[in-house]
Amino acid sequence: MSVASPSAPARPTPPGPPAPGAHVRRKRRSSTSSGLVPYALALPALFLLFALLGYPMVRMVVLSFQNMRLRELFAGLTPPWVGLDNYTKVLTDSVFWTVALRTTVFTVVSVALTVTIGLAVAMLMRRVAPSIRIAMIVVMMFVWAMPQLVATQIFRWLVDADFGVINYLLTLIGLDYESHSWFAEPLEGWAVITSLVVWAGIPFIAITLNAGLTQVPKELIEAATVDGASPWQAFRNITLPILKQLIVIVTTLSAIWNFGLFTQPWVIRDGRPSSDYQTLATYAYSTAFKTNNYSLGSAISVITVILLAAVMVFYIRQMFKIGDVD
Amino acid sequence: MKRKIALAAALTAALLAAACGNDSSNSGTPDANASVDGKGKTLKVWLMVDAQSGWKNVVDQANERFTAATGAQVQIDYQQWGDHLAKVDATLAGSEVPDVMELGNTEMPKYVFNGAFHELDKAQYENSATWLTGLSAPCEFEGKTWCVPYYAGARVLIYNTDLFTKAGLQPPKTYADVVTAAKTLKEKNPGAKFSGFYAPGAHQYMGLAWAVSGGGTIAKQEGDKWVGTLSDPKVQEGLTKWKEITSYSSGDKTKNEQDQSAIFAQGTSGMMYGAGWEASSAQEQPKDPNDPASAKVKTKVAGKVATVAMPEVPSFLGGSNVGIAAKAPNPELAAQWIKIFTDTKSQELLIEKGALPNATSLLDKAAAKEGNEASAQAAKNSFFVPMAPKWAEVESANVIQQMLVSIATGKATVADATKKADDQINTILNS
Repeated sequence: MSVASPSAPARPTPPGPPAPGAHVRRKRRSSTSSGLVPYALALPALFLLFALLGYPMVRMVVLSFQNMRLRELFAGLTPPWVGLDNYTKVLTDSVFWTVALRTTVFTVVSVALTVTIGLAVAMLMRRVAPSIRIAMIVVMMFVWAMPQLVATQIFRWLVDADFGVINYLLTLIGLDYESHSWFAEPLEGWAVITSLVVWAGIPFIAITLNAGLTQVPKELIEAATVDGASPWQAFRNITLPILKQLIVIVTTLSAIWNFGLFTQPWVIRDGRPSSDYQTLATYAYSTAFKTNNYSLGSAISVITVILLAAVMVFYIRQMFKIGDVD
Repeated sequence: MKRKIALAAALTAALLAAACGNDSSNSGTPDANASVDGKGKTLKVWLMVDAQSGWKNVVDQANERFTAATGAQVQIDYQQWGDHLAKVDATLAGSEVPDVMELGNTEMPKYVFNGAFHELDKAQYENSATWLTGLSAPCEFEGKTWCVPYYAGARVLIYNTDLFTKAGLQPPKTYADVVTAAKTLKEKNPGAKFSGFYAPGAHQYMGLAWAVSGGGTIAKQEGDKWVGTLSDPKVQEGLTKWKEITSYSSGDKTKNEQDQSAIFAQGTSGMMYGAGWEASSAQEQPKDPNDPASAKVKTKVAGKVATVAMPEVPSFLGGSNVGIAAKAPNPELAAQWIKIFTDTKSQELLIEKGALPNATSLLDKAAAKEGNEASAQAAKNSFFVPMAPKWAEVESANVIQQMLVSIATGKATVADATKKADDQINTILNS
């Protein structure tokens, strides 16, 4: 997916101060057909993007204004148009708002934890010996490379009430955790899910920010220290401002990813999350595919996309800002 | 975002497939007795994984007889329960559909109602006069028959004979015996992990069995509307009894019954409520869990497990039906295969494997099989979920499971939980 790589959105080079004579040359070029070449080159990519992302999106939006049920699906009938009915239904349903609030709170908490711990790990990586740093990178690469599904299954077994090793260990050190259910209390269950998401999210942030930290000039920190700045002051006034744009990007990306949380609660609750464990993504899926309310599910998805678009705008603006600095 | 798109893509694929789906009219009833030359044709059949792990020989002999009779080959695809309905929906929306499909009896009404299956001539199938109602009722719609019962399974009381003997207990004959046994076992076996009666909270067919044990119902039809009746005092009384029995369970109250035989195999549970075959899976497991055909290994409780019909609690009659997909390429071949697959000969082989047959006329044979007595007995006092076309959605939306878990964990009173579930049932069934 394009947002996964910060360099993806192609953007024409910003016009710098025009060199003498450039004006004439540009004028001549744009008058010929060669000015279309960049667009022609971008066309295949745009076409692919549209076919893979745009078209399904359009169908989903169309679907959200219809009432598609199982009968229409089986018989291949065009579902009846219902206007804004699905949206009214979703937006007036308190269940939807509970789920939306839960998803938002989860996103805020998990992103804050991931970025803070990720930054801390990145700072640590600058301090340790190179061999340790390499070991840390290798370990984090393994975590990063592990498919979500596999990681979730492993966590599910770790916290299993009857066979889980976590309960076993906690009981060994004398706590009363025999046959303890980690999902009876939603708060505990969400703590498990959040740990899983944060654990899997740290490597990307730590490695990216570690790369960013190499850009912080050592002399600057040294100079500040000589001038009597405390480590905290040096961090706040030198490191953070330099890292700021990178932090904004990894934070927005994490927010986008975590807002669409699906696999972890879905798999850890065995494909049938109870209402306490629904997120916007699982709620849309359950509505569409478990209760065959395809249109209602689409409406929920469209609303989610709109909510996410707000975060996306922030991200894309930041990308442009960085482009301008370059 | 990525998932939104995956979701959209899946929806689109389904829609596209729906748009290109064939519109061949499937009027008429496929004749199971017609002589069809099936040479060079392949019949596609979807069966659930139980047939592969439990009674592959039944499938094999039916295929052999079918090929001998028609010349057509059979290709069986085994499906996993879990999320199989989403797969069924997407497939039925397309044009490449299997000829024969198996569905659970609680899932069937929704598909019959939405026109997913061919009408059948009931009289052409053996024992159709005495089909178990729990299986055949989901096949009936508007006075016609749309699928054929395949097998049934009744829930029974499974108990650890070793623990019973040590505690000086007899096999329970009344419900009061069950409660006393659970209490005594718990007292004699201290330890936080021990369950007198292992009862996972989200085991919905257990909860529902207790719910209707006092004579109540789950939902009823009033005119053309369905009304949830779980908050009926009789049902609340049944669920209060259920809550009491779950208090003798030390297991995870939010779990479902999926791994209960593995838990029972640890030897730390006195009793549990399960399907007849779970008594065998508690005693031996395939060495390689990913290969049902691998050698069996005995568990700690091997030879120490027995079953009786659960006293005073009706048994949920689970099971499966097979039908011919409305868009099946070979409906007549499919009818012949189903006819062979569900005839007395096939059913007798199924009984050998511990499943219950599809007809009452065969139940006595099942009762005569050692280890099957309890199931056959339990099948005689059975109940079934409401015959509402949308009942499967109530199950998919976890309405019953959430109600039970909130009662078992003490988060809601029986009255509040049933009231909430009734509201949800009313919304879903009448939407």
